[in-house]
Amino acid sequence: MTNGDLLVRYAESAVRGDSDLPSVRKEVELAVGTHGLIEAAATVSAFEGLNRLADATGIQLDAGLADESADFRTALGLDGYSGAASTTSQGSPGRAGDVMGIFR
Amino acid sequence: MTLTNTGPAVELIDSFAAGHDKLWQGLGECGTWWSGADRVAAVAEGRQALCCELCRTRSEVLSPMMVPGEHDSISNLSAPAIDLIHRLATDPGRLSRKWASQIIDSMTEEAYVELVTVNCIQYVIDSFSRCLGLPLRELPQAGEGIPSRIRPDGVGDVGAWVSQSLDKSLANVSRAASLVPDTESLWRELVQMHYSRGPEFADLVWDRALSRPQVELLASTVSALNECFY
Repeated sequence: MTNGDLLVRYAESAVRGDSDLPSVRKEVELAVGTHGLIEAAATVSAFEGLNRLADATGIQLDAGLADESADFRTALGLDGYSGAASTTSQGSPGRAGDVMGIFR
Repeated sequence: MTLTNTGPAVELIDSFAAGHDKLWQGLGECGTWWSGADRVAAVAEGRQALCCELCRTRSEVLSPMMVPGEHDSISNLSAPAIDLIHRLATDPGRLSRKWASQIIDSMTEEAYVELVTVNCIQYVIDSFSRCLGLPLRELPQAGEGIPSRIRPDGVGDVGAWVSQSLDKSLANVSRAASLVPDTESLWRELVQMHYSRGPEFADLVWDRALSRPQVELLASTVSALNECFY
């Protein structure tokens, strides 16, 4: 993915409040433009909030998402997250016909 | 941060600024369960959490409850409310149902959800500023009024820690704050502005400065760093 590594570094610096955030931000702006930097900031900040709302309300993984992710959650170590305890169904591995439909 | 381009980028940042201004002031208005003054206090406390020594120490140990103590707080909110706000800000990935139940017992689940939602909105808007190197906003003005304390219809146990909308057509993340619809509307507007932007969310190809895969890479990186299972 174009600029993937740089965008990951930007997210890491922003979430952790690292001292290199100003310099990484400058790199991002040079790479994707000011408009792209603003979009990156919008996304990082949105998920800082979404993560917190999800974790504080203890929402469960939707059934479709549980199925869709059942085969790679363990491989990625996601089931080890504290929040995994909120989801009671482990799901059955399988590709959902319309994952985006969960969010409509 | 100095914007290096003019035109569309400036329009975009102005659009965010205007949207945030409206939502920020909404945080200070009287809520359903918390007064305007209490909501402003919560916003201030949410910022203070990032300077809290107890939170910093707890973030470095295996279990946050191993470290007793009091938060470095600046408001007159109750101790459970302050604990909620601080832990939400600094250690959201390790919140537990048991802990949440104790907090809820001290204030009601409706008040809990409204406080969580207020502080999530605050965190997003402040995080956006930090991401771009912009100054943080002044605290919102506290609005007048008395909380109505009216619980919405159509909510109940859906398996989460708090009651939520029983409308099964909604994704769980879309009904996380449904116990407090007035404050939730601010949250929805914020998420639309920053991320989903209406019907185009269902498209895999976006007409934005970043591609959809780039946006989702950012989203998943943030979520992994916060250890958010959902």
